[in-house]
Amino acid sequence: MWGSDVIYLDNAATSFPKPPEVAAAISDFLTDKAGNPGRSGHGLALAAQGVVSDTRRALASFLGAGDPARLAFTLNATDALNLALWGLLRPGDRVVTTSMEHNAVARPLFALAESGVAVHRIPCARDGSLDLADLECELRSMPTRLVAMTHASNVCGTVLPIAEAAELAHRHGALILVDAAQTAGVLPVDVTARGIDLLAVPGHKGLLGPTGTGALYVAPGLELTPTRQGGTGSRSEELRQPRQMPDRLEAGTVNTVGIAGLGAALRLLRNGGAAEVRAHEEALTARLLDGLRDIPGVHVQGTGDASRQVAVVSVTVDGWEPVDLGAALDSSFKIAVRAGLHCAPLAHHSIGTYPQGTVRLAPGPTTTPSEIDETLAALRELALAAG
Amino acid sequence: MTTTPEDHDGARYSRQARFRGIGQQGQERLTAGRVLVVGCGALGSVSADLLARSGVGHITVVDRDFVEVSNLQRQLLFDEADAAAGTPKAVAAAEAIGRINSGIVVEPVVADVTPDNVEALVAGADVVLDGTDNLETRYLLNDACVKARIPWIYGGAVGSGGMAMVVLPSRTPCFRCMFPVPAAAGSLDTCETAGVLASAVVMVSAFQWTEAVKLLVGDREHLNLKLVYFDVWENDRLDSDRLDPAPDCPCCGRHRYEFLDAGATSRTAALCGRNAVQVSPGHEVALDLRELANRLEGVGALTTTRFLLRLALGAHELTVFPDGRAIVKGTSDLSVARSLYARYVGV
Repeated sequence: MWGSDVIYLDNAATSFPKPPEVAAAISDFLTDKAGNPGRSGHGLALAAQGVVSDTRRALASFLGAGDPARLAFTLNATDALNLALWGLLRPGDRVVTTSMEHNAVARPLFALAESGVAVHRIPCARDGSLDLADLECELRSMPTRLVAMTHASNVCGTVLPIAEAAELAHRHGALILVDAAQTAGVLPVDVTARGIDLLAVPGHKGLLGPTGTGALYVAPGLELTPTRQGGTGSRSEELRQPRQMPDRLEAGTVNTVGIAGLGAALRLLRNGGAAEVRAHEEALTARLLDGLRDIPGVHVQGTGDASRQVAVVSVTVDGWEPVDLGAALDSSFKIAVRAGLHCAPLAHHSIGTYPQGTVRLAPGPTTTPSEIDETLAALRELALAAG
Repeated sequence: MTTTPEDHDGARYSRQARFRGIGQQGQERLTAGRVLVVGCGALGSVSADLLARSGVGHITVVDRDFVEVSNLQRQLLFDEADAAAGTPKAVAAAEAIGRINSGIVVEPVVADVTPDNVEALVAGADVVLDGTDNLETRYLLNDACVKARIPWIYGGAVGSGGMAMVVLPSRTPCFRCMFPVPAAAGSLDTCETAGVLASAVVMVSAFQWTEAVKLLVGDREHLNLKLVYFDVWENDRLDSDRLDPAPDCPCCGRHRYEFLDAGATSRTAALCGRNAVQVSPGHEVALDLRELANRLEGVGALTTTRFLLRLALGAHELTVFPDGRAIVKGTSDLSVARSLYARYVGV
């Protein structure tokens, strides 16, 4: 029913369709390899362990993390962000963050603020961009434990300068946590070269894996307090959670099935695959932005520059509430988008689209130029018939 | 504190127990009886009132809605105070019944009947009475009652017409035998679009109560097993002949409970960041927005374009799309949205 006849522009929520290799790897895993990794010595356990290790290695190499053990698998990016924030911060610590954050960062920080962590939010510009001078000013003003920021806005796609932010953070004795929910698999995220201390990635968006997968990268020398304790298959005689990574942060059986699928996706993205995806998505974004500019009544949020953003384009249309516009795109044109606040109310405050939000158009690796043109034609019709 | 009148020598139910079809033994069976009334609008409140007065010992009343002033014309258990306070219908009904008969147990349940809770709701009932305002819940009730082998009595009224039917699982045709395919969302009249006469409602409830009492006292011989239809304004009446259950009925023939399995029911989703809920039909729909607009004429301020129909309803606004979905603004409560959808679009 879905997929074939739908123009899917909701890749910022989760990528679709997944590569057939992902489904095949999941099926293969469930059929032949579905033991419990690292818990037993029999063939199925070893097969599962092999799959988890392969995926961890592939992800480490993809993210530029030298040691695969520094990556802990999580349920998604939100899970990884929570693990990083709760595992690192203590009452009295200070965090500097931005006004473009998703609730996956904003809500844990709000909760931590209630337990005595000081949180300072730097306002971003209306196009979603961050002024590094503002960050430096904040880092200068008071000792800071952590800079927590997104790599690219999930609302308007604007890319933030994480390498420069990391350098500033380190210069002022702070660590940096990057939310790569919208960039992993699309933009190069070399944690070592860019000096990123903590990086949260989802497996099911740009990395093209299944939902229920994600990972947290923890730089060498940094030790987080686990938020969960439990079985790891290692040092079972000790009641204390082991210190070695990734066991420290991976209590309980990981999502082996999902990780098998993620591994297949990573094999496709390796060897230049991600660069091809970026080139494809950047071209589609430019085509979309150009077309949108020509439609009267349509307002594009963000930078309007495909080279400065990921393939996440937010629009408002005169006379339309975004939720109605999203429903009309789906109902009359079979174009699947997301409308509303995209779980990032602060970002909408920043770009001036709160509370009604925007309609978000997020093409993906399989989106075609003609699908972009069809979407533009639909928006042109809808803008004329303002609801 | 009201005083309970003394009931000398069982005077309370004496006229009913004198009736040959009931008798003292029948009256005792009513006292031991458990009835579930699903939906407590016009049909449900009259049925619950009659059940309480006749001494049915345990009545559960389920409804998701709140009393509004437009209900008072036909929903006989409610009054102006309930409408002013916006009391949940189930609660207002239980309070009213408590004043009518303090000797029975009435349990109010303020809930939307869904695939998740319907089986628990019907469990333990001797008979279930339909007081719902939409077909989808009826298909759901049919699935749950057929699966649990509990008799239920369908009833519906809109305009000046009424329809009712007793369903005895595995003995008589079930609701799905009679109406195998649900009507498309948005294609049927509702009380909100076509209006409704109180007399049509009361006649349906009277039928439902009578058949429920026959079931409770154990007089199956006199059950009316026809599909009963009448129109009190057009003076029509049609009782369809009794049929056998359809052998290929998905529900009672093949025991595939598609509505219980939730695959066939409408879906609701809260929309991110907005005080709005989307309701989508459980099946493919191609809705004629003009036809719906005609039916909704005069109900509230209407806007219709090729792409949507917008209906303003005081604090709420319904935006309906050609694929049958609606965005209900002004609430983040899924059951409020489902209720408004059922009443103004129809499922």
